[in-house]
Amino acid sequence: MTFEVPKVSYTGKIREIPLGREGNTVIVGGESCYPFHLFEGEMPNPPKIAMEVYDSEPEDWPDTALEPFADVIKEPAAWARKCVDTYGAEMIALQLASTDPNDKDISADEAAKITKEVSDAVDVPMIVWGCSNVEKDTDVLKAVCEACEGRNLIIGPVVEGNYRAIGATAIGYKHTVVASTPIDINLAKQLNILLGNLNVPDEKIIIDPSTGALGYGLEYCYSVMERIRMAALIQEDERLQFPIISNLAREVWKTKEVKVPESEAPLLGDIKKRGILIEALTAQCVLLAGADILVMRHPEAISLVKESIKDLMTEK
Amino acid sequence: MVICVAENINIMSKTIGPAMKERNPKPIQDMARVLTENGADYLDLNIGPARKGGDEMMDWLVKTVQEVSDLPLSLDTTNLVAMEAGLKANTKAKPLMNSVSLQPERLEKGIPMVTQYKADVIGLLWGKEGMPRDANERAAMAVDFIYQANEAGIPSSDIWIDPIATPICVDANQVLSGLEFMSMLGEIAPEAKSIVGLSNISNGAPEDLRPYLNRTYMMMLMKHGLYSAIVDGYDKELLSIAKGERPEHLKLVHDIMDGNEPDPASLDQKELEHYKTTRVLMGNVLFSNSWLTT
Repeated sequence: MTFEVPKVSYTGKIREIPLGREGNTVIVGGESCYPFHLFEGEMPNPPKIAMEVYDSEPEDWPDTALEPFADVIKEPAAWARKCVDTYGAEMIALQLASTDPNDKDISADEAAKITKEVSDAVDVPMIVWGCSNVEKDTDVLKAVCEACEGRNLIIGPVVEGNYRAIGATAIGYKHTVVASTPIDINLAKQLNILLGNLNVPDEKIIIDPSTGALGYGLEYCYSVMERIRMAALIQEDERLQFPIISNLAREVWKTKEVKVPESEAPLLGDIKKRGILIEALTAQCVLLAGADILVMRHPEAISLVKESIKDLMTEK
Repeated sequence: MVICVAENINIMSKTIGPAMKERNPKPIQDMARVLTENGADYLDLNIGPARKGGDEMMDWLVKTVQEVSDLPLSLDTTNLVAMEAGLKANTKAKPLMNSVSLQPERLEKGIPMVTQYKADVIGLLWGKEGMPRDANERAAMAVDFIYQANEAGIPSSDIWIDPIATPICVDANQVLSGLEFMSMLGEIAPEAKSIVGLSNISNGAPEDLRPYLNRTYMMMLMKHGLYSAIVDGYDKELLSIAKGERPEHLKLVHDIMDGNEPDPASLDQKELEHYKTTRVLMGNVLFSNSWLTT
């Protein structure tokens, strides 16, 4: 008797979503099987990595993360160009961290201006992420949508408290939204239903079920992503058949483990290697749970993960 | 027919809570009258953990309610001193102790009270390690509870097993395993009764939509011979379902559970509510707060 690999049969399929402006679009999604189960179905679009750019000079980054960007750290547009030109970034993720009222609290107009500059500097698709303050994000992301009309940015986080205002503006200026929910599959589905009721087109929705860093609740996030994929592919839950984004770098690079020097914690080993590996491993985990877009920071972590994606996408 | 235990006289209520603390009988007696008129079979008197003065409160509450209603009472507290005070104060029909769990210290003190006061008792399937994880663990715990109660001289017919319902928005699999257990209970202990707190299923759902989940969930439990339920005594539709007045809807729900799916286009508004809710509770469709409108 010959051995046959047991196979899952799928009835659903993830939507294919084109990102970025016309002529330079990147397509994500389209899976008809669990992540990298190429023996069961298809993954027409391998997961993509978006490189982070910040709207102003970061103050709390460890040297490991700062070093590759030291020459461009004060200029978001130059930073984005470096990511594309030097590191071959497939996408850019502009983090509007300075809009946070508890931080620099820069205005919506200022944030929109920076976004426009970065968007003009690169051709690749661009994610624009607010500060996760519901009211401030509403003002900022609306201004961003308007300033970058037609660029098909990926705007987030859009949450239950501001989906109407941001969703309506995104429809008007033709951008894609990131529907963001706190590690809960029922809430993820609900927000997608609400966006649909608002008439946000299905090809303009990406979902963010929340991400924690390795060692910081990643297993819960993993499990919710996994369940979302199961509902989408096996139960044909059409309100969950969207590509998943994982905004993981900022979670990784704020943990104690990437910052504490080896002299204080010898068991943790070389600080540089450690930070890169924690980022790469966090990314690897969400990749296996079903993420389609990874927001990452360190170029060496990115090349490790790219290599892994290439390897997993090769049928043996 | 499902025996309905009205859950509304509860210390968590904004009107009833202060009335209990101030020993103000009117709001409580008004509510007891309405619940009795609505057709409740039992009145649950929930005073919470009542760590201080729980015995005096329960004594007063039982007497206050019995002045206006002849319904049997369900005495709901984890304070066993208060429980005993309520049992002593009770002068009418056979009361129901809500509840005794499988935690050793609660069994040890609770079981003798059941025999001493000739009460019925809710056997809560909550053990040393918390909640049962599946139908088999529920079955093992039910056997354990019934065995220990029988040993103490309590007949199985005085035991109402509560398998513990958990919210649909937490995990649909737990809802299924509760149902599966209900289908087993009749074989495990044919004389034992069953009781389920319906509102647990809808915990976390929008307040105005909770009755839809509670009602359909009860109908699903009725397929497996549910004996009684802890209910919102103001939900007249639910009470009417419990009294067997909606046989056509009951059949619809049971057909869906058996895999005989109707054509949704052929259903009217009320049938659609049951159809959609049954599918969500069965785990066929993932729950979301918009489950009725999608």
